[in-house]
Amino acid sequence: MLNIENLNLSFGDHKVLDDISLEVKKGEVITFIGPSGTGKTSLLRCINLLEKPESGRITLGGLTYDFGSITKKETLNLRRKTAMVFQQYNLFKNKTVLENVMDAQIVVQKKSKKAAHDKSMKELARVGLDGKADAYPHQLSGGQQQRVSIARALAVEPEVILFDEPTSALDPELVGEVLKAIGEVADSGMTIILVTHEMSFAKDISDRVIFMDQGRVAEEGPPEQIFNHSESARTQQFLRKFYTTTH
Amino acid sequence: MDIKYMLEIFPQFLSVIPITILIVVLSAVFGLLLSIPVAAIRIRRIPVLSQLMGAYISFTRSTPILLQLFLFFFGLPVLLQLIGFDITNIGAITAAVVCLIFFNGAYMSEVLRPAYLAIDKGQHEAAESLGYTPFQKMKGIVIPQMAPIALPGLGNAMIHLIHDSSLVFAIGVVDVMGLATIMSGDTFGMKQVEVFLTVALIYWGISMVSEQIIRLLERRKKRVLRKTGYELKEEEAGYSV
Ligand SMILES: Nc1ncnc2c1ncn2[C@@H]1O[C@H](COP(=O)(O)OP(=O)(O)OP(=O)(O)O)[C@@H](O)[C@H]1O
Ligand SMILES: [Mg+2]
Repeated sequence: MLNIENLNLSFGDHKVLDDISLEVKKGEVITFIGPSGTGKTSLLRCINLLEKPESGRITLGGLTYDFGSITKKETLNLRRKTAMVFQQYNLFKNKTVLENVMDAQIVVQKKSKKAAHDKSMKELARVGLDGKADAYPHQLSGGQQQRVSIARALAVEPEVILFDEPTSALDPELVGEVLKAIGEVADSGMTIILVTHEMSFAKDISDRVIFMDQGRVAEEGPPEQIFNHSESARTQQFLRKFYTTTH
Repeated sequence: MDIKYMLEIFPQFLSVIPITILIVVLSAVFGLLLSIPVAAIRIRRIPVLSQLMGAYISFTRSTPILLQLFLFFFGLPVLLQLIGFDITNIGAITAAVVCLIFFNGAYMSEVLRPAYLAIDKGQHEAAESLGYTPFQKMKGIVIPQMAPIALPGLGNAMIHLIHDSSLVFAIGVVDVMGLATIMSGDTFGMKQVEVFLTVALIYWGISMVSEQIIRLLERRKKRVLRKTGYELKEEEAGYSV
């Protein structure tokens, strides 16, 4: 369903993503883990073209886009099939919770106000925030804001939702509610690409875990393999270090 | 002091107040329109153009506006002649308006630029990631957030403009100030205090009206700011008139 071939990204001389290829099936939950600065965020940003790779191809929803020669129209098209949940939520500050979820449906998808409203209330109910429809983002806790941003992503019915460390800006006591919301999105059959440092969550939710190191896919497999029987010394070292420093 | 005389001459000013207002409104509207591409060029740091705009802004800021008026009045026909238009006299009002548009285009671009830069990158990226076109993003997300930040600066520009417009009499425009100088000459300098006091009161009036309009917008802005969670600093709320 989502297919990335030979994606390359550099910032100046610094090669950040080195020939990445990835195939994702519909409804699959893929989690990226790996050391800081390895290119996980960059990869997600390439998928909805907040970063423009210098080469590679992506196929999504039956259409193939060549990063090297992608047009403005294709860029918008690809972005409209993906949705991003940011580490810092990035809710529109000038809009209410409801308007945040409705806006893209009206502005981008040209839906009627009524249809957008009904869809938005449904998605807000899914993340448990239909009661906050008229609040402004700054009136909500970080956890609530992130759940609204999940509703905003769901509301445009994307082919895939990209989550970039959705809980790492949150106070520890707020992490649970966001993970629960992501878990429900995964259960509903949505295709998900997730970057996280929540290892036990990754283990529970993922169909496949990919360990990235220095811009490359170092190891991939089912969570059971990566977390318990990794074949790569590098993965083992990363996980060992991770558990000893954070647990 | 001859208050009766002041009341007598006041109706004569009514006929020239529209000229002052016309100059102010045209300069404000087109100045704002001009300031948008100027700010955009500077924000994007488009090579060459950006430096040119920097020089233009610096020039308009660092030379007296009276001098700029003379430059436009005498220089514009020469410039037009160079590109093939043979107009020896462009009319004082036109020269004044064109000059003030250029002045305000520079001034307002320096209000818009920081307002734009104050918007968090995440706001842009959230809209982009959902497939907003640049226009949809500006209209729905960026400009509504810029407006409350830019408003005090634009309000100040407006008040300055009203004051600066009183200098156009120097190139022969018969606006409020222009009429005043004529009158003061007609009375052989006998009633100068009365004439200029009347004019001062008129400018006061025009400024008060504009200030009220700005305050109205200001109230809306405070509502927007409260909604978006910005804290409004006191010195940002008032205007130096
Ligand atoms: N806009 C940019 N300009 C220059 N270099 C960048 C830019 N964005 C990212 N980088 C570099 O690209 C590399 C990969 O960054 P990226 O944010 O993708 O890593 P990451 O795996 O998400 O790390 P973390 O776990 O810390 O979030 C880093 O070395 C980073 O410094
Ligand atoms: Mg990252």
